[in-house]
Amino acid sequence: MLGTIVRKEISDNLLSYKFFIVILLSAVLIFTSLFVMARDYKGRVADYQVIKPKPGAPIGVLPPNPLSVFAKGLEDSITRSYELDFIGVQTRTGRSTANNVFAFFPAPDFLYIVKVVLSLVALLFGFDRISREREAGTLKLTLANSVSRGTLLFGKWLGNLISLAVPFFLITGIGLAVLHLDPAFHMTGAGFGRLAVILLLSLAYLALFLSLGLFISAVTRRSATSLVVLLLIWSLMVFVLPNTGTLIARQIVRVPSSRALMEKRNQIWTREILMTYSDRGNRGAHLDAMNTEIDQIEQDFRRKTDRLVRLSKTLNRISPAAGFVYTATEIAGTGIGEDSRLKNEIVRYKNRVFETGTLENGKAPAFDYAYRSIGTIMAEGGFFDVAWLLAFNVIFFAAGYAAVIRYDVR
Amino acid sequence: MTENQTILKANDLSKRYEDGVLALDHINLNVRAGEVYCLLGANGAGKTTTINLFLGFIPPTTGTCLINGIDINKDPLEAKKYVAFVSENVMLYGNFTARQNLDFFAKLGGKPSLGRDDYYKVMRRVSLQEKAFEQRVKTFSKGMRQKLGISIAVIKNAPAILLDEPTSGLDPKAAEEFQEILSELKKEGKAILMSTHDIFRAKEIGDRIGIMKEGRLVMERTREDLRTEDLVKIYIDYMKSEPMTV
Repeated sequence: MLGTIVRKEISDNLLSYKFFIVILLSAVLIFTSLFVMARDYKGRVADYQVIKPKPGAPIGVLPPNPLSVFAKGLEDSITRSYELDFIGVQTRTGRSTANNVFAFFPAPDFLYIVKVVLSLVALLFGFDRISREREAGTLKLTLANSVSRGTLLFGKWLGNLISLAVPFFLITGIGLAVLHLDPAFHMTGAGFGRLAVILLLSLAYLALFLSLGLFISAVTRRSATSLVVLLLIWSLMVFVLPNTGTLIARQIVRVPSSRALMEKRNQIWTREILMTYSDRGNRGAHLDAMNTEIDQIEQDFRRKTDRLVRLSKTLNRISPAAGFVYTATEIAGTGIGEDSRLKNEIVRYKNRVFETGTLENGKAPAFDYAYRSIGTIMAEGGFFDVAWLLAFNVIFFAAGYAAVIRYDVR
Repeated sequence: MTENQTILKANDLSKRYEDGVLALDHINLNVRAGEVYCLLGANGAGKTTTINLFLGFIPPTTGTCLINGIDINKDPLEAKKYVAFVSENVMLYGNFTARQNLDFFAKLGGKPSLGRDDYYKVMRRVSLQEKAFEQRVKTFSKGMRQKLGISIAVIKNAPAILLDEPTSGLDPKAAEEFQEILSELKKEGKAILMSTHDIFRAKEIGDRIGIMKEGRLVMERTREDLRTEDLVKIYIDYMKSEPMTV
């Protein structure tokens, strides 16, 4: 019975114009995104060839991450150049464009397409599955047979998920294959593994919108009402809630601005340099004092920032879109956790360079950084976000089930 | 299935909605194999509520609905194996062809191994034009959809058939064809419960006719009774009078 309903849902989708228009639109968006982001990536690779430090230079800079084509995240921050000097670590801004208009809009990466566009597509797949059938009378006709309402709901969910998942994987696969024809784009086996996990996460994210669509469809009598309600919920989940948490957190945790930090560092530097002159050459002691003080200020700044980020992330998790983006970017190596870890590694690198006294002699050790494994990411909070995403799925599906059981089919 | 075996049975069936409206007031009726029972009544009399209760779409306030001896509210999945349903204005799946619709509902009705020829045979039986078999249902007229609706009921081959105002909106020719199909199903021993506004059709096809008013079954007549009585007059008289349960 379940198979019959699943097949019917798939056939119903395949025979509708809505399905083809939506899938075509998604394909155009995904291909365009991959093309645009791949060009951006190649531009960053070219930049990296220019700024790549020579052996012995006290500079930490990571090569561009090919997965940033799919999830840009904090890639610009992660791949910027960290230069060591007497004051400590000087950061150079990441790659920027002269076109300021770009700053007003988020990077149209694959993750953005999934988060915004495909989540809407998933809603369109589910929004009228119950209410429209009631309007058309087919719900009564179906339930006049030996079909339980739970089976009907699960069949509809599964059928539509397959209808959504197959073109999604197919389009992404074709896009990836085309990307690989370009010799400038190279992704390792581990990169493919990470991408596979991101795709599975994307599917879980889309499935929850499908469940939400079915749920709202089962609590409304008319498909038009269902659509309006869902659009409101969707805009809240995808656009409003992920930003609200950040704004609230900012009111709770006060963090000095980066500019204030920079000013303070410069003040310490000026003070110690002047004291070096008055102290007649005890340069080493003043450099040590300067570094210790700057380290303390920076540690304090990072501690407060980490607290702000943690609170923002926790509050933002009220929206599944936030949890999805956090996990997907962490897996891609462009997430907040990776950025924070990189900064800690840069501080360690700086200490190592200072301890070995290789800052000025051109024999500084190379900065070596390895992205965290998926296992580590999961252990460091990723698992919670994945579980949270799945919990949203279960909650919406259970709510849909409860609604379908009580649904007045007349 | 033996003749005179009761297939559909409503015992002391009542339905009061959450807003307090009493839609059905202690109804007792039964439909035997090979019998057509027509429920007549004005809008809101309780005809469709009775059918909805038989299908388990709404729970009764009191009483039971038995299909082939199985209580629809206790074991709905088992009870529904023995009943087919034709509604007033079924749209079906517009993007599917007639055959695809029939295939889907046949599988739901427990007939997983039927093929194209079986579907064509049933559609021919309900006089659906051959050219419509592989046409999308969204291009169908109401009459064609109703024929397809009845073919869905026919292919299930259940001992009981519930019809909710099936001839409403049909042209006279289509209604006549529909009546012929019902006569054949009756001959096959199906127990048919049909709600309708159409007094003349009810008189022609019904073995028993019940008149409903304000949720009560106020009158019941057999085909034999109606040889000597005027159904139209009885109906109008009952519509004017205060309801009294049979």
